[in-house]
Amino acid sequence: MSKGNILVIDDEDIIRISCKRALMPEGFEVKTAQNGIEGLKMIGEEKFDVVLTDLKMPEIDGIEVLRLIKQRWAEIVVIIIIGYQTVDNAVKAIKLGAYDYIEKPFTPEGIVSVVCRALEDRKK
Amino acid sequence: MKVKKTFHSLTGKFILSIGALMIVGSAVFWYFLIYYEERGFIRNAEKYGYSFADVIRKSIRYGMLTFQPHLVQQTVEAIGSAEDVMRVRVFDCNSRVAYSSKKDEKGIVLDTAKSFCMDQYPKHTEIREALSYSDKKDRNGFKVLNMLTPIYNEPACYTSSCHVHRRGDSILGVIESDISLSVMDKTTKEHKIAMILFVFGFIIAISVVLCKILWNTVSVPISILTKGMAEIAAGNLNYTVKIDTKDEIGELAKSFNAMTVDLSKAKEKIIEWASTLEKKVNEKTEEIREAQAQLVHSEKLASLGRMAAGVAHEINSPLTGIVTFAHLLQKKFDAGTQEREDIDVIIDQANRCSNIIKGLLEFARASTADKTAVNINDILNSSLNIVRNKADFFNVKIVTNYEEQLYCVKADTSQLQQVFLNMIVNAGDAMDGKGTITVSTKNITENGGDFIEIEFRDTGSGITDKNLVKIFEPFFTTKPVGKGTGLGLAVSYGIIQEHGGNIFVKTKLGKGTSFFIKLPANKEVL
Ligand SMILES: Nc1ncnc2c1ncn2[C@@H]1O[C@H](COP(=O)(O)OP(=O)(O)OP(=O)(O)O)[C@@H](O)[C@H]1O
Ligand SMILES: [Mg+2]
Repeated sequence: MSKGNILVIDDEDIIRISCKRALMPEGFEVKTAQNGIEGLKMIGEEKFDVVLTDLKMPEIDGIEVLRLIKQRWAEIVVIIIIGYQTVDNAVKAIKLGAYDYIEKPFTPEGIVSVVCRALEDRKK
Repeated sequence: MKVKKTFHSLTGKFILSIGALMIVGSAVFWYFLIYYEERGFIRNAEKYGYSFADVIRKSIRYGMLTFQPHLVQQTVEAIGSAEDVMRVRVFDCNSRVAYSSKKDEKGIVLDTAKSFCMDQYPKHTEIREALSYSDKKDRNGFKVLNMLTPIYNEPACYTSSCHVHRRGDSILGVIESDISLSVMDKTTKEHKIAMILFVFGFIIAISVVLCKILWNTVSVPISILTKGMAEIAAGNLNYTVKIDTKDEIGELAKSFNAMTVDLSKAKEKIIEWASTLEKKVNEKTEEIREAQAQLVHSEKLASLGRMAAGVAHEINSPLTGIVTFAHLLQKKFDAGTQEREDIDVIIDQANRCSNIIKGLLEFARASTADKTAVNINDILNSSLNIVRNKADFFNVKIVTNYEEQLYCVKADTSQLQQVFLNMIVNAGDAMDGKGTITVSTKNITENGGDFIEIEFRDTGSGITDKNLVKIFEPFFTTKPVGKGTGLGLAVSYGIIQEHGGNIFVKTKLGKGTSFFIKLPANKEVL
């Protein structure tokens, strides 16, 4: 039984793969989407516990994805991946209901610990 | 040339015109004087002539009445012998010389008495005497007064016993007398000479005196003034003319001196203006140059920041991949194996990259400051506490010199702490772990604004001029690879700029360096 179902939305291959490879050994089920539209479609088809989404993406950006998820699936934990974006964006995301943010470049330990923390908090 | 100049000079003109006026004036005066004197003399001579004629008439009267021609002749001769009497003649009515002071003339008929005797009309009784000047001159060339005096018929004559004259005759004869006017002429001549001499003497004396006066009061002062003008024109504005008379020229000299003083003052002012203007222009140019340099500098830093941010963004994702996969690999090898060590190196270096990127992002990110009113002394203390326990600072003496009543500053505490830490670490590095770091704060009020100034002074190596211009550039470092990224001061600069402040450096090679941070402050104290 997997520890949780996780969706990673990022336009960059290496981030998607990195997340997948960091989280899968820890017992998480990891799916990936290349952009917001694809991600939202997958969320509609399948139940996810945690969504990791990049902020800066073409078409629909992370903030928009976050808003839509929180509108329809409030129980899903959303974690924001930020690159060089200022803290402003992270603050904005948290105000919109994101659980936390993680800065690139991150380590496998870093991402695993955030996800675990998020799932534990959700259980409470 | 000199003479000509003298005549053209003011004095020359004055003297010439005054001299001419004097000559004309005294000539007229002299002419009238001589004229009236001569008239007076002549009138006197006439009077004298009349009485002389009367004397002759009366002297010969007796001889005539008693008919003693001999006596008459004697009398006439006696009178004629007198000094200045040149000749006495008595004509009868036929213009014959009856008696004369010169005997040989007797009996000669002359026209002289004709006008009296020939035209004998009863009305001729009106004619009493006649005077005339003859053109003749005596042997010394003096004028001669020639008088013709009629002898009138009177009762005693025609009743006398001789019966020579009839009752009907009105004029019996004519007395002619010539009197030399030598005395008068001589006197007149002497007077003329005296007058001319006097007039010339007078003119010369007056001219000399006038000359002297004009020379002293006009010519000399004017030439002094002219010289003064020339000096002024030549640029010698300190020149003063020395004339202290109380007249108009003295006044002129006074105002001339006042004018030169004004001129030299004005000139000084102009020179001063010119020089201060130059100074001001230089100052302004320097200011503008500095401002421009500052602008170029911050512009450069800003574009560097943008570029750094872009680079960081691009590198972040690949770096995430490297870190993630290195970690995944790391777990597959036991500690102590060569592979594990190699992977550790990859992870270390990736972490270094990650740190560089973080620094870059901090450098690029200055606008997210979370500003509150803070006491800088407190932030400095907490920064110092962090380094105090580090091994690098064991041999470093840290001295604080705080202003107790330090103005408060609106600032982002964590950003300022980052700046201060970098300053302190840089100071420690510059001293190679041995020396003194002095941290001071003070209040400054300038141009109506309140500021605080923080100084980090070390006793380290100092900074070369060549490096000094580069230390605020990102990635400029003199520290060994792995020790410094060269972002510390670049980030500090950005943060302080973002707080409206300023960083500047004073350094002396081999002696040490002071970094000053000036921040706008509020007069209240926390
Ligand atoms: N107090 C100081 N005395 C002498 N040199 C200094 C001092 N502070 C800075 N410098 C010089 O300025 C350079 C740039 O400093 P900066 O803080 O920007 O970078 P760094 O200290 O080299 O690296 P980092 O701070 O990123 O670890 C230093 O390498 C050093 O040569
Ligand atoms: Mg430094």
